[in-house]
Parts: sequence; structure tokens; C-alpha cells
Amino acid sequence: MNIEIITLAEVQDIQGEAGNFSVDVLRHPRYIDEDKCIACGICAEKCPKKIIDTYNAGLSKRKSAYVEYPQAVPLKYAIDPDTCIYLLKGKCRACEKKCPVDAVNFDQKPETSTLNVGAVILAPGFEPFSPVKFENYQYAQLPNVITSLEFERILSASGPTQGHVTRPSDHKEPKKIAWFQCVGSRDMNRCDNPHCSSVCCMYAIKEAVIAKEHVGDHLECSIFFMDMRTHGKEFERFYENAKTKSGVKFVRSRVHTVNPVPGSDDLELRYVTEDGTIQTEIFDMVVLSVGMQTPPALVELANKLDISLTPGNFAETSTFSPVATSRAGIFVSGAFQGPKDIPQAVVDSSAASAAAGEMLADVRNTCTKKQEIVPEINVQGDRPKIGVIICQCGTNIAGVVDVPKVVEYASTLPYVELATDKLFACSQDAQETMVELIKEKGLNRIVMAACTPKTHEPLFQDTLTAAGLNKYLFEMTNIRNQNSWVHKNNPELATEKAKDLVRMAIAKVAMQEPLEEVELPVNQTAMVVGGGIAGMAAAKSLAEQGYETHIVERDAVLGGQGRKLFMTAKGESIQEKLAEMIESVTSDNRIHLHLNTQLTNVDGFVGNFVSTLSSNGNATPLEHGVAVLATGASPYLPTEYAYGTDERIITSLELDKKLMDNDAALEKLNSALFIQCVGSREPERIYCSRICCTHSVENAIQLKEKNPEMNVYILYRDIRTYGEKELLYKKARQLGVIFIRFSIDNKPVVKTENGKLIVNVVDHILNMPLELNVDMISLATAIIPNTDEKLSNFFKVATNSDGFFIEKHAKLGPSEFATDGVYLCGLAHYPKPIDESIAQAKAAVARAITLLAKETVFSSGTVAQVDPMLCASCGVCVSICPYSAPKFTEDGRFAGKAEINPALCKGCGLCSASCRSGAIHLKGFDTDQILMQICEMDEAV
Amino acid sequence: MSKKEPKIISFLCNWCSYGAADLAGVSRMEYPANIRVIRIPCTGRMSIKFVLAALRQGADAVWVSG
Repeated sequence: MNIEIITLAEVQDIQGEAGNFSVDVLRHPRYIDEDKCIACGICAEKCPKKIIDTYNAGLSKRKSAYVEYPQAVPLKYAIDPDTCIYLLKGKCRACEKKCPVDAVNFDQKPETSTLNVGAVILAPGFEPFSPVKFENYQYAQLPNVITSLEFERILSASGPTQGHVTRPSDHKEPKKIAWFQCVGSRDMNRCDNPHCSSVCCMYAIKEAVIAKEHVGDHLECSIFFMDMRTHGKEFERFYENAKTKSGVKFVRSRVHTVNPVPGSDDLELRYVTEDGTIQTEIFDMVVLSVGMQTPPALVELANKLDISLTPGNFAETSTFSPVATSRAGIFVSGAFQGPKDIPQAVVDSSAASAAAGEMLADVRNTCTKKQEIVPEINVQGDRPKIGVIICQCGTNIAGVVDVPKVVEYASTLPYVELATDKLFACSQDAQETMVELIKEKGLNRIVMAACTPKTHEPLFQDTLTAAGLNKYLFEMTNIRNQNSWVHKNNPELATEKAKDLVRMAIAKVAMQEPLEEVELPVNQTAMVVGGGIAGMAAAKSLAEQGYETHIVERDAVLGGQGRKLFMTAKGESIQEKLAEMIESVTSDNRIHLHLNTQLTNVDGFVGNFVSTLSSNGNATPLEHGVAVLATGASPYLPTEYAYGTDERIITSLELDKKLMDNDAALEKLNSALFIQCVGSREPERIYCSRICCTHSVENAIQLKEKNPEMNVYILYRDIRTYGEKELLYKKARQLGVIFIRFSIDNKPVVKTENGKLIVNVVDHILNMPLELNVDMISLATAIIPNTDEKLSNFFKVATNSDGFFIEKHAKLGPSEFATDGVYLCGLAHYPKPIDESIAQAKAAVARAITLLAKETVFSSGTVAQVDPMLCASCGVCVSICPYSAPKFTEDGRFAGKAEINPALCKGCGLCSASCRSGAIHLKGFDTDQILMQICEMDEAV
Repeated sequence: MSKKEPKIISFLCNWCSYGAADLAGVSRMEYPANIRVIRIPCTGRMSIKFVLAALRQGADAVWVSG
């Protein structure tokens, strides 16, 4: 509603300054009137021109009249002017003749317009590297050498092969697939991309695991790599499982040649193994894990807009303002800021909107359009007219369950007015059809048989609201996660089960009544737990956007772990920046500091929390609407590598301290050695701590610069300097830092002999044991979350097996919790460098402000209600409720009877089940509804 | 023993076991198809009436998980 999507458009120029930009936009013609197009697809069907489908990475064909993909937003067809026969040759117009709504308009011309805006966010993305020029891989010549993006489409249910893994040359199912990592990344010899693309290691593993799922265990998958970079949350565990459970092979080698095997479409790979022998191996297919780069046109635009770029052509940002470009008022998110994966791109996009919000706080809501409230149709007392929609979910459901059979069956059931299926019920077009169906057929109840209500119920409920139907007149039944996915080898039983589940849902929804939601105010104050860099960044952003903010910090000072750090990967002094940050937080009169303070209780719920802050035995209540948890992490205290036995063996943070103090002894060292993965990537702490490789490389460079004669060694398992941090790794090698790889089952051994520090390690190139005599050892220790069970319980937020908080959604909700009104950022979420912590702090704030800015929220409709006529005033509900929602009515006609506060009720149903008089109805899960479900399962099992 | 498969009806808490059943799907685990799930908002909602009703309807087992 408050987002206008301008498609087929190019930004040509941005003039003006922060707060008042004019943006010149060139809009290319679609040749189809968006307002008229109903996306029926007849234009595409009638179009005689077949061309390569770029969305499917060239693996299939589409027409010149097309929609890029079925879930496209807006779902409107377009005519491709580069291939349309009429636009090129002046003859045809088949689409125009056949369009049922006269939407085709060949008279459309390019239009330019100027937008007046206060801030700009750049999210133009990246282009995948084209491997055509890598002659040794013969991508252009050999059909079975494909890119990772092409393979993504092959794996996709909506792709050219419907998810069936086949190779392009002969459509045969492959038996052996190889992935080549770092194609167009970490490579200055054959292309100009020195950076690491950050995502390819993980996507290659994912592709290999999914390919094995699709084809079967007999598929052999090998990944050829340099360093395996699985530094994201839960990624290392995925990597380990891929090795040990899925049986994916990992080969540390750069394949130098791919040759066709004469007389077949197979491919012969020649590579050198770790022990130096040359291997030849035949594969059916090769997938090139192509990297990310900024397209040349974007580089040109950036230059025109006066946006500074990094050496790798990404938008330049600073560590403490991670989404601000060099031009004030223009922000950046996603891969244009640097190669990154989805969660980080989502964090950035929220952060950029917070940064823009900080700038535009004074004019908030001045241009906002209010949602038109669709008047609710009164269906009370009407006979149920149920619409049943069965989702195919691509092939996820339809590949197992006989969907047409279920549709046919559903249409025979009582009260069912209509039953139909949808390819993807959650797609925008399907949603629109639902609204139309509800209106057209006068439906007053909807059953959706699809995936899980835990993720998709709210979306479908919004659709009901848009159709004027009370959103509770809806029941979702799970025929994917709890049916097609778990019974994939039993399609018949799965189809029977789907029928049963649909029948049970219909029986339940028939008895459903429209429910009311209570409107609740949102307290406009925020609380931030933790006064480290992330916490301060969050507080500052909240305050800048006009919200009173309280920081609760258990220490006596602000700054957290930041106080121990020397320098960022971009070379900025952390102490200098931290001091500025502390100053700006302390001097902001909208930020209230509570140092030496702990949280000892939290009551209430979204928009209306009351927390108890305890300091020196004094407890004070704080009312707040939202909470941001930035509780941070601590360094692991090593027990390995003789730490604690010799003062020359120190941790990374202790080395930072020496660097900060400009310790003169450092220059005099003859040799220094770093050991990576100390406490990380171990069986008992499986995750990668993400920042230690960069940290050690950076410190190694510091030492080399202080004393170029010093011998500096880094002992590592995989160097994980992702993104443009790879340039630091390169610099360290150029400065002569020696990198020696070790494996987890053959770790270096540290000992002191006659006052000498000695490290024994096996060199990975010579395959010979080395004895290094060094003057200092720096251990890259793990980052351990400050797990606080009390805090988790207060806000009902969970932690994963590593002790980090679990976000709402690993990809799409990285900065918020499943609990409404509670957000997270910084190290408490996962180890990350300062720029990512600050971006996530801003992201958490952006998410919090979507709530604060509304000023009111609605309670759930699925709450318990007492029928006072039946209530015996026994008090069981009052004593049993964990949320103190029921109480005795004090006066009026029903004095002495129980009543339930809908704002406090969580809808658990404990009171309803315990009420001996049957007086308590849990709306949405009422006793008669559940009994009906039970009755209907009779035919079932 | 006959080869008759037991009929099982399960009542799963929306916040834990129902989510776990979803996860079983996401993890592509497999289990027999003779089980029907009724989602409840919390096992607190579970009433003895539901157990009796299920058994009366011919269920061989009732599984409450939360």
C-alpha cells in the first residue's frame, strides 16, 4: 500500500541532496497495460515466437509475451521488445487479437519521470560471473558443464525439469556430479575478481545434498574446493552432515582441465590431489560455482551518482556506518555492498530502512496512505458455504498426493461450495483468485490444504480479510510437511490421508464463528538489553527515530567486547570509533542508561511489557513496548595449546591489547605464530566463529608491518576471509606471512623446552613434520554466547544447541524473535564482525519500528471466553491459568462469575479443558470443533 | 497376530510437537501414514473427553504430545 513498484525501470540520475533528492527514472514500455492484464496467459500461449528462457538459465524456452516466473510481483505479462515479431518486423499482433481484456498496447513508449524523495536505498544486486572465458573448463563447448545457477533451476520444482536431476546433453540422470568452487572468485589470473563471493561454498554443499535427495543415495557428489567457507549460522553443522551423513565428497584441489570423453557426453577431469598425485576421474556433469560481481552498467551508474566503490567494485561503506554510501542520504543493501548470503542481505535491507528512517524521522507518516478497511461481511447465522483450496506446492505435494482426486473428494463433502487446486496457493495470483472466489461464490468459510499453518496461516488470513471475510473463518490443514514429505514412498496412503485431513478441516471450519480482536495500545518506549556495540547502535537508531530508549547493561561501563578490540578489517581504529559512539549515546537525552543493572523479571506482552530492573538491590519497573536483546558473547578461555603455562602464549584479544598499547616488545619478536579454530569447529562446539581468520590475518599484517623481518606463521584449517576480506589474506601472503594448514585429527602441538616455545606441525605442502621455534603464539579463540536462561524464559525466546538465540526465520527473519515485540542483534545471534553487528542492530530497530509506528496492535481472536450462565464460580480457571487472565467479575449482573482478559489470554485452553461446568469456550479450538474433527477421522485411519 | 495396522490419533501442541512434526517433514523423515494429527493450541487444551471420543470412534491409540 505504501510501496509503489515501478517495474521495467532504470534510474538515470539522482540530483539534490539528503532529504531532497530528485530521481530521474526511465520506464521502458511493457506493451501490456498493467491495470487491465489479468495474467491469464493467453498472450503467451498465442505468441508464435519461442526464445530462450533466461529465468531458467537458458535451459528451457519461453515466448516473447511472457511473465518471468509464476510468482512474479506484480503478476502482469510483458512483451519482450528484443524478440517480438511485431516490434521487430511490423507483423503479427497475435497477442493483441487474442487478449480477452484488450490489455496489449503496442503504442506504449518509453517514459521518463522524476521522483522526489528524501532518501535512496540502492539494492541493485549482482551478476553471476560468466565462465565462458575459462577455456580449460569448456563451459561454452560442453553442454554438461553448467553453472550453479543453471543447476539451481534444474533442482527447482518449477524449473525446466520439474526438479528431476538430468544433464543437459541427453537428459539422462547423472551418476556422478562435480562442483568446482571459486569460479570467478579469488582469482586474479583468469579474471579480475580477487574477492571471495562468500556464498558459493554453502550453496554448492546445499546443491549436492539436495541433488542426492532428488536422485537417491547412489548419486556421487564431489566438491572441489580451496578453502571450505561455511562461516554462517548452522552452516558448519550442515557441512559436517553433508560429509558424514549425506556422503558428499570434498576434494581440496583446483581442477585444471575438463575434457570430453570421446564417444560419450561424459567429462574427464584432471586434478592434483593433496598428496601431489595427478588424478583422472570421469564425471557425468560439472557444476561451476560461479561468483558474484557488480555488473559494468552498475559501476557506470555508481560513478555517475558519485558513489565510491571498493577495489572490487562494491559500494564503499565504513564499519560503523555499514549501509551508508559515500553520498549522504543514499544507502545500500544486499550484494552491491559486498558479496553476501540471504540472511545478511535481509539484515542489510532492514538496516538501510532504519538508516533512512533516522534521517526522515521528522516527516514520518506525512506521506503515508492508510489502509482502506474492507467492511466485514456479516455471516453470523448463515449456512456454511465452504471453499476448499488444495495447494500443489509445485511438486512438493502434487508429486506424491493425487491432488485432483482430493479436490474431487472435497467437493462431495457437506457445506462445500467449491473445491479447487493451485500450483502455489501462496503466490500473489492465487491470493487474488481466492479473493475473487470468495466474493463471486459468496463463500463464508475457507479450508486451505497446503503446507504448515505455522508459517502460512497469517498470509492466507490476510487474504480473507481482503475479501471482507473474518479471518478466523479459516482452517488450514497440513498435507505437505506432515503428509507428502513424510509419506513420499506411499502416494496412495498419502492421498487417503490428505482426504481425511481435508474432511476433518471442513468439519471443524463449519463450526467456526467469526472472532473479534481487541485493539491494544503500543507503549512507545524501547528497552535494549546489553550496552555493547550492537546494543548502543540499536539504542542510537531508536532514539534518532524519536523513541525513548532504555539501555540495560550489567557492567559498569558501555562498550562490551568492543573495548578489547584494536582495529577493523577496513583499518579503522575501534577505540576511537567506540569512544565516539559512547559519547553520542551518553549525551542523547532520549537514551536512558541503566548500568550495573540486571533484568530480574518481565511481565506483559507485545506493546505492553513491564520489566523489573535491579541494581544494587533496588528494583524498579520499566514499562516498554518493545525489547531488543543484544546480550553479546564472550571469548573462549582455551585449555589447549599450553595456554596459561607461558606468558608468550596469548589469545587474539590479548594480542589486540598489546597492539592497542603499542607494546614495544612486539617489534622485537623474531617470530610469531597464530593458531586458528581454538575451541571452534570442534565436536563439542561445532560452529565456526566467523571472525577469527580475518582477525588473525589482520594482526599478522600488523606484526609484519611493524617488523618485516619477523617470521609470521598462521596455522589454519580453512582460511575464511569471506567477501573483500580476502584482499587482506592476499596482502598477508604478499607480505610473507606463512600459512600452514593442519587437519583436526593432526593438530599442532605446542610445548616449551629450555625456555623456548616450540610448535610441531605437519606442513600440508611438503607433507613433512615441521618444528617451529617462535617467540609468541596467538590463539584464535572461539566466541561463546552469553547464554542466559532467565532472559530466554522472560521473553519466551529459545536458544539453539550452541547457545545462540534462535531468530524468527534463519533467512527471512534474522533480526527478530518468534515472540512478538522482541528483537535481537549482535553476537547473541551469531559471531560476526562489527559492521555486521551494527547492521543487525539497525535491522532489529527497523523491525521494532514497524510495530512502534503503528501505535496499536490487535490481540488474537483465539482466546477463551466464559459463558457466565454456566459458570459455577469454582475458581479452577483463576488458579490454573499461567497468565493470570481469568478473574472473578466484581460487580454487575455476573458478579462472582469468572471472566477472562483477552489481552492476557494466550489461548492455551487450559481453563477450557479444566472447567468442570463446560462454561469456558476456547474460540477457534472449541470443544465441539475438536470433537467434530475426531468424529470425522472415523473413516480415516 | 493379524496384520491390522493400528489407528492412531494424535493431539499435538502447536508450539512444540506440531512444529516438530513439521520439521520431520522438512528433514524428509518417513513414518507410517496411519496417524492423524489434530493441532491444539497447547496440551493444556487436552480434555479427557477427546481421548474418550477418539477411542469410541475406533482409534487404537491416542497420542498426546506437547
